[in-house]
Amino acid sequence: MIDWLSALFSLLIFPGFAFLFLCALTFQWIDRLVVARLQGRVGPPWYQPLADFIKLLAKEDVLPIGAHELACAALPMVSLAAVLTAALYIPVGTHSAPSFEGDLIVVLFLLSIPSLAYFLAGWLSGSVFSVIGGNRSLLQYFSYEVPFLMALSGPAILSGSWSIAQITAQQSHAPWIALVQPLGFFLALTGLIGKLKRSPFDIPKAKSEIGAGPLTEFSGRKLALWQLSLHIKTAVGIFLLVNVFLGGASIGLPAPAVLVFGIKALLVLLVLSLVDVLYARLRIDQLVNLGWRVLAPLALVQVLVVILIGVG
Amino acid sequence: MSRITIPIGPQHPALKEPLSLKLVAEGERIVESALRIGYAHRGLERIFQNRNYVQNVHVVERVCGICSHVHTTAYCQGVEALLGLEVPPRALYLRTLLCELERIHSHLLWLGVLAEHIGFTTIFMYAWRDREIVLDIMEELSGGRVAHAVNVIGGVRIDIDPEYAHSILARFDDLERQIEVFLGVILHERTFQVRTHGIGRLTAEQVRRYCVVGPVARASGIDVDMRRDAPYAAYDQLDFRVIVAHEGDVWARTMVRTMESVESLQMCRQLLHAMPEGPLAVRAPRRVPPGEVVSRCEAPRGELVYYIRSDGSDRPARVKVRTPTLPALAALSEQLQDINIADVPTVLAGVDLCIACADR
Repeated sequence: MIDWLSALFSLLIFPGFAFLFLCALTFQWIDRLVVARLQGRVGPPWYQPLADFIKLLAKEDVLPIGAHELACAALPMVSLAAVLTAALYIPVGTHSAPSFEGDLIVVLFLLSIPSLAYFLAGWLSGSVFSVIGGNRSLLQYFSYEVPFLMALSGPAILSGSWSIAQITAQQSHAPWIALVQPLGFFLALTGLIGKLKRSPFDIPKAKSEIGAGPLTEFSGRKLALWQLSLHIKTAVGIFLLVNVFLGGASIGLPAPAVLVFGIKALLVLLVLSLVDVLYARLRIDQLVNLGWRVLAPLALVQVLVVILIGVG
Repeated sequence: MSRITIPIGPQHPALKEPLSLKLVAEGERIVESALRIGYAHRGLERIFQNRNYVQNVHVVERVCGICSHVHTTAYCQGVEALLGLEVPPRALYLRTLLCELERIHSHLLWLGVLAEHIGFTTIFMYAWRDREIVLDIMEELSGGRVAHAVNVIGGVRIDIDPEYAHSILARFDDLERQIEVFLGVILHERTFQVRTHGIGRLTAEQVRRYCVVGPVARASGIDVDMRRDAPYAAYDQLDFRVIVAHEGDVWARTMVRTMESVESLQMCRQLLHAMPEGPLAVRAPRRVPPGEVVSRCEAPRGELVYYIRSDGSDRPARVKVRTPTLPALAALSEQLQDINIADVPTVLAGVDLCIACADR
């Protein structure tokens, strides 16, 4: 009975849905506020992301003729389910996630499902803009995913374990992997920006070119779920990097673990916001060039260095 | 590869004004484009014939929502030429001051639009924030941010005192610093450059063929500027450079417009320092003797032409406006040929279309 209840608690409350929902809203708010302040604007109040979410839930839900109704209803749920499942295997603060050898691979796989669902949503929602956006998101996926995977395999090879909890635990008595493999950390951050479709890689949803890209035709509850899944993905992606590269909750000083973890996550978020402010959007061919000519070779170098020298 | 037709407009996030563009794309490349204009047609040229010359000043002001002052300047100096009026120098200086302020405001607005189109939101926000400095000055001078109603036939209706001139000059220093920040971004920011270099290129030959004017022509190496070539208002007493670039792409246009804004600031400073004393306007008779006149001005987007014919009554027999956007629209299909879908907004922004002007 107790086991059953605690499992339900971890699924629904912490580190499950409620916690991730709150994280997604908070991160979204901080991101919007930081970007606004850097751009000379005031920025939204703290409850704005929640208000936006509720507003979208209440809006009329329409799809154009020619859209695949069932797929369009299912895809946002698939995307949300995938990121929520991925979150279960990522330790947050003191909370130890159910871990097994190879869960890093599972998490990376689950985190790439939303990208595929996003592409399908563009393809099946029956608008020119969403088809172009879907094509672009797939091209983008192939550009950032390889360097991202290779960058994350560096820490795994170094730690001799493909379990996130193991990689994190090893850093409690060794320097953070971000310090040992700065190149890998940089590549993982770049890959994460591509994964989250944030500026300067917001190519699939470039609003001056193709409206909202794959999500152009979505509205109401479906759009709310999409946005929620993308924002939870942001939080999960940041948690993943904090665990793998920044040593999770450890800092080498006596400090509350949750606080340390939270500060590290916010720092990563801050970097994402800064990048958002600093650059113009790239074109899809420029991103593919960047991904295959620069990022992938660099990631290869990083992995080779880790394998050959053993310390990175 | 299958072809898809992409409708851009009449309503589209990349367009601030209605314009319809049908693009046929193969993958991400544009192979065909078809343009349709006229969505903002308001029949203004007919309205001009039904109003008297004084009323028309206010109608002319509403041809354009950005460069309203230069339209009234072109119209008023045309009517003044028909009447044979000698406009007092102080009025000419004030007219020129507003023209140049308006140019800065238009160019900064344009820079913001371009930045937004290439996904550079920060520069968009900064450009529009700093544009407020100019808008504030114009509002304090005339009472209107965009429609200033400064020009009257025979002069201007506003005045400026030395103290206020000082406060304007102080604010110019802030503005100049900000424009230098933009210049730094244009010159040094890689992502800005890869999105604008080589996009929407027009050769000098194409510019001549389509009669493209203004900053777009100057960015393609055509050294043409009404302010220097056919000086009106107080431009013959000002010392300024005409900015010319040779690349002919959106980057060069950005450079030309931003440098022009700096140059306009210098001109405003000269105007404020050398403002002559004297009356603001001379009295104009209601009836205009028969005749016809062509009046030309350099609007922020290029040469603006007003043709006015009078039949001796208090209403013009014909007012024909030719705005700089018209040739720019004609040259659009050349620039849209064989480019990436992602570059369409950049090209559209690059020529700085003013649809309301072109449609009237």
